[in-house]
Amino acid sequence: MKKIIVILIVTVLLLCTGWTASAADEIAVGAVTPLTGKLAVYGEGFQKAMLLALDEVNASGGINGKPMKIVFEDNNSTSKGSVSAIQKLITIHRFPVIFGPAASTNFLAVCPIAQQNQTILIGAESAAASISKCGSYVFRVFPSDLLQGIGVAELTEYLNYKEVVLTYINNDWGVGLADVFKEYFLKSGGKLIDEFAYDEGKTDYRSEILRIKKNSPRAVVNLTYIKEGATMLKQAYETKVEVQWLMGSAAKSPKLVELAGVAAEGVIGTYPTFSQDTSQYIAYKNGWEKKYPGQKTPIFGEYNYDMVKLTAEALKQTKSMSSSDIRNALMTASKGYVGATGDKTFDTNGDVGATYGRWTIKEGKITDYK
Amino acid sequence: MEYYAQLLLNGIIAGSIYALFAVGLTMVYGVFRFINFAHGELIAWGAYLALFFTRSPFYLPIYFAALPALLITALIGLAQDRFVFEPLRHGNRITLLIASIGLSYFLRNAIRLIWGSDLQTYGFMPTRGIDLAGLSITSAQITMMAAAILFLGILYIILAHTMLGKSLRAVADNMTLAQIMGITIKKVSLAVWVLASFFSAVGGVLLAVDTNLEPMMGLTNLLKAFAAVLLGGAGNVWGALLGGLIIGVAENLSVAFISPGYKDFISFALIILMLLFRPKGIFGILGGVR
Repeated sequence: MKKIIVILIVTVLLLCTGWTASAADEIAVGAVTPLTGKLAVYGEGFQKAMLLALDEVNASGGINGKPMKIVFEDNNSTSKGSVSAIQKLITIHRFPVIFGPAASTNFLAVCPIAQQNQTILIGAESAAASISKCGSYVFRVFPSDLLQGIGVAELTEYLNYKEVVLTYINNDWGVGLADVFKEYFLKSGGKLIDEFAYDEGKTDYRSEILRIKKNSPRAVVNLTYIKEGATMLKQAYETKVEVQWLMGSAAKSPKLVELAGVAAEGVIGTYPTFSQDTSQYIAYKNGWEKKYPGQKTPIFGEYNYDMVKLTAEALKQTKSMSSSDIRNALMTASKGYVGATGDKTFDTNGDVGATYGRWTIKEGKITDYK
Repeated sequence: MEYYAQLLLNGIIAGSIYALFAVGLTMVYGVFRFINFAHGELIAWGAYLALFFTRSPFYLPIYFAALPALLITALIGLAQDRFVFEPLRHGNRITLLIASIGLSYFLRNAIRLIWGSDLQTYGFMPTRGIDLAGLSITSAQITMMAAAILFLGILYIILAHTMLGKSLRAVADNMTLAQIMGITIKKVSLAVWVLASFFSAVGGVLLAVDTNLEPMMGLTNLLKAFAAVLLGGAGNVWGALLGGLIIGVAENLSVAFISPGYKDFISFALIILMLLFRPKGIFGILGGVR
């Protein structure tokens, strides 16, 4: 009996907190953020960027006069932590909008929950292509990896390689990217000499390299990660395969150079970028320096900043606080919206477009390719 | 033609490493009658311990660092037996199997805890391969093959020409009868675990020299070793050796015909076919070749 009473009291208390949060004269949204665990180094920067945007929104009148508020919930940088955090934000606080966690695996862990509960989930730093398929309530202001397929096709064309070998990791990400690449590359008159997928996480890619060697191409488009990319580069170097390697941004890491050494020299790739000369970006940068003097702008901070500002815009326009109305408002508010990271117009999957920069490895360092 | 010859060569090199892993796995099965799922972790521990001795404060060159690494891995192998498998030996065989799965999680995550999940290398820079009659081979690969032949040769001498080898084979054949004949199981089990751990660690270090280290390296290779064991007939040491080679060659040659993305399919298809048609292995007809 005692137990039941305790449970009842706890439930009532929990309901009260949920009720006060939504009933108070403020517009509150939730955020699942890695404040502890291995991503905490980034999470703090994300949080600060979100708070900066929040300050600016509230300084200019909030949401139609009501102040906006973000309730942060830590996820310990894990999928498990993300799931319990979002469940708390949805079932107890009943927030209609939640900012999702960093790292695609964590984001993918929570997106079915958000979709099922018809809660809007917005991501600022998750790139996995499969997020596009999460559902109608899931958005992100960070470009999908899928777009890179186009980026790499443009790069290949720019470098004037008409015939290439296409190879990619045999998973959702790799196959998806390769499909997009193929579509654009073939349309622009390119030709594939050979095309094959390979297993993720192997240590021996020599036979794959041989298959490339057999066709003696001038360039190989390899849509790969760091570890697989490095192993292939190394083993291609050992077997004296001299080709121009073209890659995406997933391989762009000093770790690639560390693992592959001289074999990584001369690789060219693409990565999503945005202009830092726009008035929007300069406004973000100035705002940051004013609020956090002496601190460097964090990685992906500007995406978090855009996410909060765009959400505020949608909350201003929405007819009611129901999630379907907010969703519609997000679609209209994003149309032509240009933030610090460029155009944030959502497509039907809740994805944004992107522009691409080019990287290369020169003397063991990753630099911009010109 | 050269293309196929090179694929064959790559297959033999990969296969000789699989054979090193499979030999230990099948020996443990032969004597104790269970598949040790923690066997893969001995591969990874061997490689990581060698990494440990190449770094501060030891700074040993890799082939010297491998020595203490092999010794410690053998100790881990013995500890596996002493603290987990021996107390459970008189229980159900399924109990041993489940315990070994648990143990593999424990050992794998211990690696994550100590060395992290990130990729690591021994820090060798890639070198150009050597041309041999149109085939390309790196010095690391030559070392791998030489080491595999050397260690498997040592194993042959131990098994075929020493008292220890004879008692090992006798115990594998019939444990009770061997005990009646005065063979001490303690000594045999010690030998089995030391040999099995030693061979996994050698393979692990060689594999890491050629490529890199990561906590999952044991698990991925355990599957290949398992296929090799089944192919050769569980418990059959020479069968496992040949099984390893066959899987290495089949996998690598398959690249010429199917997409490399399905390379792993070969070993699993072999497992299924063997279990369906020749559950005692390709040498099953010969009976107790041990």
